[in-house]
Formats: sequence, structure tokens, C-alpha cells
Amino acid sequence: MTTVALFGNPNTGKTTLFNRLTDSYAYMGNWSGVTVEKKVGVIKNTNFAIVDLPGIYSLNPLTKDEAVATNFLLTEDQNIIVDVANASQLKRNLLLSIELLEYGKPTIIALNMIDSLRKMGISYNQHVLAKAFDCTVLMTNARGNKGTQELKQEILTEDPCLPPTNFDLPYPSSIQQAIKQAVEGLTTEYNFNPRYAKWLAIQFMNGNDAVLSFVEAQELKPLLDQAPYYRAQHFEDKIYQARLGFIEATLKTAREAGADPRVRDITAKIDRVVTHPVLGLPIFVGIFFLMFKITFDWIGTPLSNLLDAFVSGPLSSTADHWLVAVGALPFLRSLIVNGLISGVGGVLVFMPQIFALFACISILEDSGYMARAALVMDKLMSKVGLNGKAFIPLIIGFGCNVPGIMAARTIEQPKERLITSLISPYMSCSARLPIYSLFVAAFFAKNQAVIVLSLYFLGIVVALVLAKIYQKVFHSESESVFMIELPEYHLPQPAIIWHGTWDKGKGFIHKAGTVIFGGTVLIWLLSYFGPSGIANNIGDSFTALIGQFFLPIFIPIGLVSWQAISAMLTGILAKETIGATLMVLYHTSGRTVLVASLAHMFTPLSAYSFLVFILLYIPCFATIAVIKAETGSWKWAAYSVVSSLIIAYFVAVLIFQGGLLLGFH
Amino acid sequence: MALIVNILITAAIVGLAFWQIVKVVRKSKQGKCAACDYKCAAKKMSLTAKRRPS
Repeated sequence: MTTVALFGNPNTGKTTLFNRLTDSYAYMGNWSGVTVEKKVGVIKNTNFAIVDLPGIYSLNPLTKDEAVATNFLLTEDQNIIVDVANASQLKRNLLLSIELLEYGKPTIIALNMIDSLRKMGISYNQHVLAKAFDCTVLMTNARGNKGTQELKQEILTEDPCLPPTNFDLPYPSSIQQAIKQAVEGLTTEYNFNPRYAKWLAIQFMNGNDAVLSFVEAQELKPLLDQAPYYRAQHFEDKIYQARLGFIEATLKTAREAGADPRVRDITAKIDRVVTHPVLGLPIFVGIFFLMFKITFDWIGTPLSNLLDAFVSGPLSSTADHWLVAVGALPFLRSLIVNGLISGVGGVLVFMPQIFALFACISILEDSGYMARAALVMDKLMSKVGLNGKAFIPLIIGFGCNVPGIMAARTIEQPKERLITSLISPYMSCSARLPIYSLFVAAFFAKNQAVIVLSLYFLGIVVALVLAKIYQKVFHSESESVFMIELPEYHLPQPAIIWHGTWDKGKGFIHKAGTVIFGGTVLIWLLSYFGPSGIANNIGDSFTALIGQFFLPIFIPIGLVSWQAISAMLTGILAKETIGATLMVLYHTSGRTVLVASLAHMFTPLSAYSFLVFILLYIPCFATIAVIKAETGSWKWAAYSVVSSLIIAYFVAVLIFQGGLLLGFH
Repeated sequence: MALIVNILITAAIVGLAFWQIVKVVRKSKQGKCAACDYKCAAKKMSLTAKRRPS
């Protein structure tokens, strides 16, 4: 069996190319010790096996996952190397190509995504590149299935028995000399193949951690003895400079005057504005504002009002009449009409807002803006000891905190990962939307989007301030800079938007049938019964007793209704149930009636401080559980509960009392 | 008779509701959420974003 190893930077279309070259997976599993998928495929009717390796920027691994690729070169046998390079990012991609060429196996460089390069009006002379790198260079477009057949043919005709590539980069003489000495030592003392010894020496000088471990394990003295000298001479920097210089010179020679770029590079133009150091952040805020305008003012709320009119009107009354007709007794009628229809139905009417927000997020994702948002936030995040990568779990947290915290797994530094997990619950998840919608419609009808925007950003601010505190306490310093592929912008596809929206939104409908339903029935039971049996007056029910018990604590944040306290308690089950509980407790399925009742209990200022409290207080049960699962201890989960409660209380008091002092009411 | 049917239906609804809460709590303990098992672009991005030593 001839083994073909597929290397390349992340997002170069490597997997697409793998799928084009192979007809079926011969093997699929995980690389040992990491979660990266190991994929091996066979080119149909041949004995050529293709191994798809994880995307890497260089052979020097930063993570365990990346080490898979380097270890593959160190320990496993391969006959041919195919290096998939993103044609429009050649300068960076060819750095990896050089490392692979130095390995000395027959190598083919596939310049993939060649169409993107042509769009920019650039083209390179294939033959000049092939000559400079002393290997076969092919142009491919795996997405469009162009050039893949040629690549397949080239792999099949490449004879692994042929002498390997003789690519030799002109490093500075001090490095050449050191390489020569190391190779001599490795070949005479350890019987290494000269080509392999040279590659090993260069990688060692370049500070490759995986190679360093290998050299230490094998006790290769010619390299270990010289290590201090290599470091003192800054060989790592010199090697990088030599490689970059070679690539720049080669690309300059190989570049051909392409046809006039018909399609202007729109991506670069947009990026100049949206990732601008000063304008980037206001644009990010502006996009969120627009998103809430659409969600609350323009599309979500008007549709939600129609749905609400249906649920509280015809649906409730028809159900009630029908239940009377079939002889349902008052408690069953109350359970169905005041409990289920009010609670579950009352939350479901917020579906338009939820779907509108998810549609906006899907549009942002599909257009390619999300990566820019992470980039824009990187600067702010680095000030609190995190970086742009930690912002991605926070963005996911806007949908739901649970996958947000799970996404923090991808952060390599344990302290940064812990900090990200602890601050994630402060991101305003979509489950808080129904209660926001209800209150902003009742108290801030003209400024709905601004109020919700302020809550979202208050969540971010609290999270960042806490991150800064944790950074000081844990002594966590981010020693890395953030790197992310910025995909080209494209017009969002309706089918993809719909798919993304539905994928995210269906969870809300599912929750209505599970946890919201459960929570609603629970609160109905607690409000229907009291210590003395059936509570004729809701004020004598268990819910009222519990709510009234805690009420004095919440007076400083402006709460005067026990119903709000009870609602917050059920909110720990799932935040959506806060709205459902209020509907049940006020015995209404109609928003108009509820809004009128709320107007007696809240002022705009106390309503806002209530929303702030809901934003920041105890995470829902699922989030607490996931914090425990991800940090591996109940201690952190308990800490998260207690700290968020204190912070929520403190901020809400500050807003309410501060607001009163400033003359708001 | 009507009372028994009413009580049975009510008990069934209440029982189902409690069963749902138990299920959600159990699922939560495994670190799963009822709402989100989607693979959005941001989630994928979190896997591909890399960091370089400065």
C-alpha cells in the first residue's frame, strides 16, 4: 500500500480535496490521545491510501491536536506528501510547504482555491514555482472539482521509489554550517538517513516542540549538545526570515500580470472598515443594534402580538368553552387554561422574536462577519488577559450558555479556559429574550432595541470586568496572539439562513414541550395549593408564601411583587419559565392584561433593574451542570451560583438606587 | 365517574410534567442542554481558530 499524506493549513479545502480524491472512507477514528478525527481513504481501484491530517500552520505544534501532523512525520511511514495550499494566502501557506519539502519525500503542492486568487486578478507561473520548490505544483479548485483529476493522476504516476525532492533553501552560512555538523553526527553516530537528519536538525533549531521531545527521547546528542548555541544565535528567527525571504522572492518572480480584476476584492475593502481599529467596535455595536431593531421593533414583536392575540383570545376561550362542554372540573380547567395555555402558550408567543434574532445571527455567520467580530473584540479581550478566541464561546453563549461553555474547551491555557467558563453565563442567552420582550414592550415601548442592546452589553461588560479580576487573582497572562481565518464575504444564501435559524430555534420549541411545560405545571400546582389545601386566593398559595418570604431582600432593587420573586426562582430551571410563571401567577394568557398588571408593580426603573438582575443572576440548571462538567468540580459550579447572585444583586441595587438618586423613577 | 376521569387526566399531566423535569435535570447533569445541539458557524470557528505565540 502506498501512503499519501495530505498536509495543509486550516481552511484550505483539504477535506474537500480528500473527499474528491477518495471514494470512500477506509478508516475513520481518532488519533491517539486527541479528539481529532483520523481519516484514511483509498483512491478507487488502486492501492493508494490517503491520510487526511489536521490543518496546521507549521510543523511546530501549538496544541496536542496539531502535534498529530508532526508526529505522523516522525513516527509513521508515508511515501508521498501532498501539500494543500490556499492559493490566495500563498505567503503564509508556503512556509509549511518548505518544512514539508525539507522532509525530502516526493511532494506535490496543490494550489487550491485558485479561483479566489484569479478573482483578485493575480496569477502565478506554475513552472516557476515548480522549479523554485523542486516539486510538482498543480492548480486545483476542490469545491468546483477542477484540477482534482490531474492531481489524482499525478499522485498515481508519482513513483515513491524515485529519489526524493532535493529542495534546498539557502539558509545563512552559520545555520548551514550547524546543519552540516549535526547531520554528520546523526548519520555517523546514529545511522540516520542524511536527508531525514537534515530535516530533524532544522526542525530542532527551529524550536519544534514535538521534534524536541523526540530528540530527547532518542537522546540524540549531536543536537542536544548544541541546543544552547542554537538558542543563543537566534536560529529560530533566522530560519523564519530566510524562509520568508525565499518565498517573497519566489512569488515576485512567479507572479504574472493577471487579467484586470473584474471582481474587485470586495472582502478587503469591507474589512478595511469593519476591522478598523477605531471603527470596528462601533460597527459591531451598530450591527447588534440593528439586530435588536429587527427582532423587537420591525419584525419580531409585531408578529408576536398577532400570535399573542390568537393564544389569549380564540385559543383560550375556545379551550375553556370546550372544557366546560365536556364536563371538566374547575381544577382541570385551571390547569389547562391558566396553567398550560397561559404558561407554555405565553412563552411560545415569543417565537417570532427568538426566530428573528436567530435569523439575524445566521445571516451574520453565513456572511462571514462573525470571524471579524472575534477579531474586533480581540483587542478588548487582550486587556483582560484573554484573547479573541475566548470571545467565540461568548458569542455562542448569546444563543445558549451551555454550548458556549463547552466551546471554551478549545482554549488551550487551563486558566483562560476556566475564566472563559466562569464568565460565559453573563452572556445574555436567547432564553432571556421572552422576559426582555415582555418588559420592554410594557415599559420601554419606544426604545425596545436600545434597552435590550444595553442589557446585552452590560452582560459583556460584567464578564470583561470579572475576567480582569480573575486574571489578577489567577495570575493568568495571555502569552499568545489571536489568529483566525477571515473567510471571504458572500451574500447569505436563503437556504442556509433558514437551516441555521431552524436549527437554533427548534431547541426553543423543544424546550416548550419539556422544561417549560414541566416548570409551568409545577408553578400552577404551587399556586393552586397552599398550606391549607386549595388556595382560594392566590395570595395564600405556596408560591405566594415563598415569594413573600424572599421579598424583603429584593426591596432595595425595587421589587415589590412576590410574583416576580417566584418567577425568578423557577427561572433557575430554565430562563424561559420566568415569563411563563408570571403568566400563570397573574392568571392570564394575554400579554395586554399582564402588562396592565405589571404596570402596578413596576416602574420603568425597577423594571430595568429587574431585567438586569435576571441577566446576571444564577445560571440555569443546565449551565450549572455544564460548568461542573467542564471544570471537573462542584466547587466551581457552586462558586458560579453564589458569585453571580451577589454580582446580580449588587449591580441591580446600584442601578435602582443610582437611578433614584438621579431622579429616574 | 366524571371526578375520577378529571383526577386521572390531571394526574397524567402533572406526572408527565414532573417526568419532564426529571429528564431535563438528568440530561443537564451530563452537560447537555435541551436547546442546543446545533453546530453553528461560530462553534466551527472555535475549533479552527488558532493562536500563535507572540
